[in-house]
This record gives sequence, structure tokens and C-alpha cells, in this order.
Amino acid sequence: MRYLWTIILHLPFLLYSQEKYTISGYVRSAASGEELIGATVSIPALNTGVSTNVYGYYALSLPAGTYKVRYSYIGFDDVIKEVKLSEDIQLNIELSESLNELEAVEIEGESAKKNIESVEMSVNKIDAKTIKKIPALLGEADVVKSVLLLPGVSTVGEGSTGFNVRGGGIDQNLVLLDEAPVYNSSHLFGFFSVFNPDAVKNVRLIKGGIAPEYGGRLSSILDVRMKEGNQKEFTGSGGVGVIFSRLALEGPIKKDKASFIIAGRRSYADVLAKPFLNSGLSDSKFYFYDLTAKVNWTMNEKNRFFLSGYFGRDIFGSGFIFNWGNATATARWNHIFNDRLFMNLTAFYSDYDYAFGVEGDDRDDFEWSSSVVSQSIKPDFSYYLNNNNTLRFGGQSIYYDFKPAEATFASGGATNDISLPEKFGLENGLYIQNEQKFGSRIKVLYGLRWSHFSYLGAGEKQVFNDTIPGLRKTLVESEEFGDFESIASYNNFEPRFSIKYSLDEFSSVKASYNRMTQYLHLISNTVASTPVDLWLPTTNNLEPQIADQVAVGYFRNFKKNTYEASAEVFVKDFQNQVEYIDNADIFFNDELEADLLSGDGRAYGLELFVKKNTGRMTGWVSYTISRSERKVKGINNDDWYPSRFDRLHNLSVVGSYEYNDKWSFSANFVFSSGTPATFPTNRYEVQGIVLPHNVNNSRNNYRIPAYHRLDISATLVPRKNENRKIQGEWVFSIYNVYNRRNPFAIFFEQDPDQVNRTRAIRYSVIGNFVPAVSYNFKF
Amino acid sequence: MKELKVFRLLFISFLILSVVACEDEIDLDLEEGRTQLVVDAFITNDSNIQVIRLTTTAPYFLNEATPTVSGASVKIIGPAAVEYIFQDGGNGDYTYDPSTQGRLDSTNFTYRLELSYNGEQYTAHSKLNPVPPIDSMTVAFEEEELGSEEGYYTQFWARDFVGTQDFYWIKAFKNGEPIRPDNPSSLILSEDAAFGGNGADGFVFILPLRAAITNSDEPFEIGDVSSVELLSLNEDVFEYLDQVTIQANNGGLFATPPSNIRTNIRDINGGLQDEVLGVFSLSSISRNAIQIQ
Repeated sequence: MRYLWTIILHLPFLLYSQEKYTISGYVRSAASGEELIGATVSIPALNTGVSTNVYGYYALSLPAGTYKVRYSYIGFDDVIKEVKLSEDIQLNIELSESLNELEAVEIEGESAKKNIESVEMSVNKIDAKTIKKIPALLGEADVVKSVLLLPGVSTVGEGSTGFNVRGGGIDQNLVLLDEAPVYNSSHLFGFFSVFNPDAVKNVRLIKGGIAPEYGGRLSSILDVRMKEGNQKEFTGSGGVGVIFSRLALEGPIKKDKASFIIAGRRSYADVLAKPFLNSGLSDSKFYFYDLTAKVNWTMNEKNRFFLSGYFGRDIFGSGFIFNWGNATATARWNHIFNDRLFMNLTAFYSDYDYAFGVEGDDRDDFEWSSSVVSQSIKPDFSYYLNNNNTLRFGGQSIYYDFKPAEATFASGGATNDISLPEKFGLENGLYIQNEQKFGSRIKVLYGLRWSHFSYLGAGEKQVFNDTIPGLRKTLVESEEFGDFESIASYNNFEPRFSIKYSLDEFSSVKASYNRMTQYLHLISNTVASTPVDLWLPTTNNLEPQIADQVAVGYFRNFKKNTYEASAEVFVKDFQNQVEYIDNADIFFNDELEADLLSGDGRAYGLELFVKKNTGRMTGWVSYTISRSERKVKGINNDDWYPSRFDRLHNLSVVGSYEYNDKWSFSANFVFSSGTPATFPTNRYEVQGIVLPHNVNNSRNNYRIPAYHRLDISATLVPRKNENRKIQGEWVFSIYNVYNRRNPFAIFFEQDPDQVNRTRAIRYSVIGNFVPAVSYNFKF
Repeated sequence: MKELKVFRLLFISFLILSVVACEDEIDLDLEEGRTQLVVDAFITNDSNIQVIRLTTTAPYFLNEATPTVSGASVKIIGPAAVEYIFQDGGNGDYTYDPSTQGRLDSTNFTYRLELSYNGEQYTAHSKLNPVPPIDSMTVAFEEEELGSEEGYYTQFWARDFVGTQDFYWIKAFKNGEPIRPDNPSSLILSEDAAFGGNGADGFVFILPLRAAITNSDEPFEIGDVSSVELLSLNEDVFEYLDQVTIQANNGGLFATPPSNIRTNIRDINGGLQDEVLGVFSLSSISRNAIQIQ
């Protein structure tokens, strides 16, 4: 810790000054005007270069002189500009998509070497194009399902919400949609994610070496960036699938200055089913939809503005009402103070809520809703000090409003309000980081994040007495606090450090350490998270979750950067992980914290990854061997036990082959070890009911069988497309080709036909192969 | 947790609607554990013969009735140290006939169970809470809806006591037989007049509870008798039975981690023990019935 301060304090002395000029600007796509994230800007003669940031901006400082500047980006043709540098200049560049992408071009561009050259590790990127190539359930390309194919990522099972990264819970991923957090990333319990692939630009999953700019979650950042609308012309795209129909429209509002994109999806199983339902069912509702929109405006070269939003809901009902959904809104301002200082100011609003009710009359009724609302402001500055140092600093402030339950009910004409009190929290963070080059081989990113959380009033501070671990705690005393009074507060320093050392032109080794703190907790006691699970703040009883992670990796490219490969080892230590007493009551419980336990966790593993980026055949192979364990007083005799999402082996093979202009084929295969489960040893009878019993009191003492699955798809682009205004394609897919009945869980029950008989039941979420056809179009 | 059960049913029905979820029986080898004594002691203030059943645990896939226990000494201690001795029937049932020493009907008195077996002694406490009367029952014909068949549906009408936290077990019968003989673990439990939580104190039992006494797969027909028993419970027994319903039906996407159900049977000093399973409960009981015409 101390050494870090020493470096930061002495920074100015470490840097020497010399008469230099800055060349800066944006790198964009020539076809749509959209900024390219992570494009490489290099000076081959000096063997130096930078990448564009997430807004497509770059800045490069050089001594006066004449240079050849090379701009490159995967899938685009390089542009080389000759620049006479005698003053600071701004140079915006447009790159054109490569037409000869299918010809196995040998790429030697700088961008292809980014994975070995950059200091970041444990990061995977997927663009919308790749996501759309992967065969998907019912033919619906899906962001989160694609993320599951990456190294270090697993899930408790098919159809469940969220994903687990390097042994962390699903609430430990900061899922960002244009910088606004999404609290529940699923439609239909987890079969589809809320991100509409037509409106997604790219997706970055950061699992380790997490930079100080990010905070608030322990295990990963899933940074989903929405596409900007086409700046040049009006276009549209859409599709008709088995589940959704989709439509996206985009175009300039003012050419090269402002554009919009609006994309919507709706499921229509209900519409199709309607004629077949009898009268009792005809008013049943079951559908989900989402709407994603973004507007951007370039006021001038110094100022750009972005507004983006998402709104989606799942709606079910038949004699009852049950719906849930997210709403997010993000406003951003990019401002260039001078050639070296770039600012992004983000403000967001994010809401997740659900409602449940029984459609009764006035005399007998039940209505329940719950929500978590957060509002935040986040300034972020990049200072391009010189070619060897890029400083970033900024802060974030988030205000949370949790409504665990707003509920009323009526019975026999009498009504009552059974709402639980609201809870409030304020999370603040400040960070500074520097990315520094030492010579041509070493790159270091170091920095510190300070985070602070206040559990705010109005509210009640409850103090509990914990006698026997694993049993409900008893309330000892409680104290009322007024509006905005701090009930409990926590401070944490989170050091972050990454280093890259290039071994040669094709390989490097990297290492990183990060500490993360998390002040929000998803209270979920079920195998798969449900839409009604509660998010709760850190309180005087529920301490912030903390994780330390060390990762070491070897990165190498083969065959002139056609293949990139990496091997990473990680070790993670978790503190204050939430667990539950037996018989925990997590809804309508005003003393919920009495039912929560806190424990430690650990995870470690090895991830191997090989990816082929270009050519007719593209794809990757990812293999992870890892362990994820928990230790909680009162569970499993206070000993370590595997977490519910522990899977020893995890293999994904993803491939896509462009056969010709007409046909392309994709396939993916996944294999993962079975998840742990608690099986009984004995049975006993009470009131004629046969009950399972585990005499050793052990948790997760068995494994359910392994999971494996093959999916394939074929895409047909009709030849007559060329002369048509509307370009169409057909996608044929089969999910679970060899019809494996993968177990999600094994549970035990009394046989309904023979009450003396007990049996083990294999529960499969998807027990068959699922074929699908969809038609996509663009114009 | 009680609400969750409702949701789980909803979720499962949705999943069946939306995808091809499936369940099938499989063969498994399970580790076997040591044998433990099981006490099944649900006593009411009724005048009929009261039974405490003693059995042992068995390997999970034994697939026959679990072994019975004889040779234990079982008694309940009432007010003024009256001992109600339960006679060993040799078949696991220990019985007491209230016509001998009277009913166990001292409302608000905490009865004590004393049990000795194999030289070990155990004890448990349960208070006889009062139960409100079932004022009336109603019947209505309903058409088929999502998840429910066409037929006659009954409701019972009762009001929870005002000012106290009460726990109930609602038992429903069709022509004297449980309405769901194939699913003995589908218990109907209530805290005050609702599924759980606070706020239903002093209310008429809420609609989902009132209507729970009809099996929606097999509603009543003309001539059937729908009858209800309302039993008062202690909080620990309510939690026990709540766990029973969870652990006996703990499957699917939204299962909770299986855990052992905590007994309220203690060692002789009143401490937690790890040898005996089961529960001791005293209930007041009220009844009503209606014939479908």
C-alpha cells in the first residue's frame, strides 16, 4: 500500500519533459460514423502507439517532426496518414470495413497484437457480430448466453438468471448497459437476457486486473455498450423468430452531427396461442418486451452528448398479476478540455421493480411491489500526460432507494398495509490510476480506489444477539434514525495493480492484483435467482463484501496474430459472503438480518483460451479448471463446502465457418462438471409424510451428473439479395442437438402413487433438442 | 418463504408453458447414516384417542414403512403435575384414551413431553393455544381456469384472534379423506389470517387460505362432504411444518438448499440434542363441514 503512494507522489519527478506536440481525435467507422473502441493508433517508426478509449478518442504526444501514423482496427482496412507535427493537431479518421475479410489475410496490424501488448488481463471482448453467429436457444442471439462461453464463467444451470465469474455469486457482477447498472439481466427467469443484440455495439467482460475506475462489485464488470445510430444514412434491421420479433431503426438526425437508434423486441407466444385457449384462459398474459434507444449529438469537436435508455418488462397473469423489469437512463457528456485532457461525465438512473397481485375484488385482494432505484453521477478524466503515462481519475456517487415490500391486502372487506420500511444508501468512490510504460517491454497500471458507504435514514438500526450459529438471531435493541442520518458507514481502500512484460514480439506475461468492495447484496436463497429476490444495502449487521484477487497469465499469438492464446491462473479470497439460516424467511420479514449468516469464500483456477479471429473459420476454445468454496459458521459443521455454482471442469468450443457467400455454419459445444447438491442419507416419517434427512449435516455432499450440449446453426443469405433493397437471411438452428437430458438438479420426493416409496428425480430444464428458424432482415 | 411456495407453483407452471422442462426418476446410490429415533407427537384437546408414534430413521431408499419402536416410556405432564401415560401398543403407536384421565384441554397451559428410550431421556414443551371457531362454510360452482378444473369449490370462514400472534394448520377433507391423498406434504399453514408476516392479525382468513380447502384438480361434486379442521399451533411447530412442506417438495429451478428440519425435542436438561428427530405439538381444534347440494 505504502509503495503505491510513493509512486503516486513522485510521479511528476519520474516523468521528464521535452518539447512535444499532441495529435488527437476520434477514430470512426466510415460506413456508419460510429466511434471505434480500442482502435490502435501507432507510429511504426517509433514503435509506439495508443488505443482509442471507449468513446473512440485517442491522444498521442510526440516531439516535433514528420510521422507516418497508422490507424488500424480488426475487420477494417488500415489507414496511414503522414503528419507534420509542429503544433497540437486534431485528426479524426474514418476506417472502412475490410471487403476481403473472408480471404485469410495475414494481419500484422497493431490491433491484432493488442491482447499481448496491452496491460489488461482477464478481459474478454465480444462484438455484436460474434454474438449473432453463436447458435442460440430458439435462434435468439443472446449477450449473457455468449458470455457463458468465455473462460472463467459458469452458471448454476440452463435457464437460470445471471452468470458466475471466477467463483463469485451472480450479484457480484456489475452489469452495465451504457454505464447504468442492470439489476436483473433476464427475461423469462433467465432464458433470455435483456440486451437486444440489434442495439449492442460490443461487450467487455472484466474478470481480473480490474482498474480503479470500476468498483462496487467483487467478481466482474460486464460492460455492454449500446450502438450509436448511423450518422450517414437511415437504415433498419429486424427479425422474426420463434420467441421474439425485433425491429431496430437508426439514422442521422443531422448528418455527421447527430443520430439515433431505437430497437424493440416483443415475445409473441401469447398472440399465437390466443386462438387455441379456451374461455377460462383467454385473458391469460404471458409476454415480455424491451425497448432500447440512444441519441448522440456532436455539438463540436470539443463536446459530444449521448442519451441512452432501456425499458423492458416481463408480464404474466391469469387470475393474478406478476411482472418485473428494468428501466435505465444514461446521459453522458464527452468534453475535450485540451488535447491531453478528456472528460466523460455520466449521470444515470436505474430502476428494477416487480409487482405481484391477486386479481380479486375490493373485498379480497393482495398487491405487492418492490423496487431498487439508484441514481448516480460519475465524472471521469483521462489525462494523456505523455506517451508513457496516461492518467485517469474521477469519482462516483450513487444514491440508493430500496423498497423491500410495498404491500396491501384485503380479506373479507378489511384491508391492511403490510409494507416494510424503505432503506437508503449512499455510495461514494474516488479513484486515480496511471498507465505507465517502462521501455518497450514493460507496461504497468497502478492506482487506488477509495470507497465509502453510508446506510442512511430514515430507518431503524437493529442490533441482534447471535448465540448459536445457524439459528435465528434475536433482536436486542433498535434505534430510530431520521432522514439522511447515517445509521452505519464503511470506508475501504482498494489498491489495484497490473503489469505486463513482453517476452518477444508475440508473447507476454502479465500479473495483477485487485481488491474489490461491494456494498449491495442480492438476498436469494434459491438455486436459481428469482425475479422477486431482494437487493439490500450494507447495514450495521450486513457488512460490505470484500474480495482480493491475484492473477498471473501468459499471452501468446501464433501464425502472425491469426490465433491468440492465453493461460491464466487466479486465486481469490472473499469476505462477508451472505448465507442463510435454515428456514430463513426472506420476504415480508422486518427482521430479515436475523436470518442472514456471513462467511468466507475462496476460489482458484486455471483458464486456457485460444481464439481465431480471422479467416473463413473463426471461433475459440475455452477451458477452465477451478474451485469455488464457502465456509460459514452454522453450515456444513463449520467446514468448507463447495458453492452451488462450483464446477471443476468447464469447456466451451465455439466455431463458425463461412462456406461461401450464401451459406455459413456455426456450432458450439459445452461441457461442464456437475454442480454440487445436498443429498439425504436417511428418511423418516412424520404425519405420514416421508422426509429426507442428512445425518452428517453436510452441505453439497454430492455432484449431479455433468452437463454437455451441442448446438448448431446454418445461415442462408439468398443470392438474389444483391439487387434488393431489403437484405434478408434465414437462420436455422438446433439447440441440444443430441437430445441430452441435462440435469439441472436432482431432488427427492415421496412417490405420489406409493406413499411408502421415495425416489430421486432428475429435473431437466430443457429435456429435448429445440429446433428453430428465424428470418433476419436489414434495409 | 411462505409466499415463495406460491411463487414456486406459479413459476413451475410457467416453465411448463414456455419450454420443455422435464422430470424423470433416476437410480442413485446414497451414503447411509446412523439410525435415529423419530417422535411424531401431534396431540389435540379432542376426546378421541391420542397417539404418539415412535419410529426410527431408515436408509433413504428403503421403500417401506420405517421401523417402529417399542419399549419406550412416553408421558405428557399436565397442570398440577398430572401424568398422561401413553401405552406402548407394540406397533410404534403409544396411545392415551382421554376417557380415563380426561382431555388435554387446559388452554394456555404449557404441556411437557417426557420420553425415555434406551436409557436416554428427552423432553419437549408445547403450549395449548386457543383456536377460533369456523363460523361457516360456503360453496360455489366454478368453470375451468388455468390450473383448476370445473366443479364445486368450498370456502371456510373464520376470524383470527385479535392482538395475539397465532399459528394455524388447516386440514381439509373430502368425504372424510384428505383432499390430496397422493401428496400428504401439501400442508395448509397460516400465521394469523395469512401465509406469513405480520399484518393479518384479527382478519378473516384470506381468500387463498379460505379457498385452499378444495383440491383444484378434483373439486367437489354434488353429494360430496367438504370438511375442515382448524388447529392452533405453537410457533416452533408452525416453522417445523413449514419446513416439512419445503423439504418434501424441494425441487425445480427455485429450490432452496436442502436442510435438516429442526426438532423441538430437547435433552433432559432442555438443551439442543442431535439424536432424536420429530416434533411435539399440542393443538386446540375446531371443525366444520358442508355437503354439496
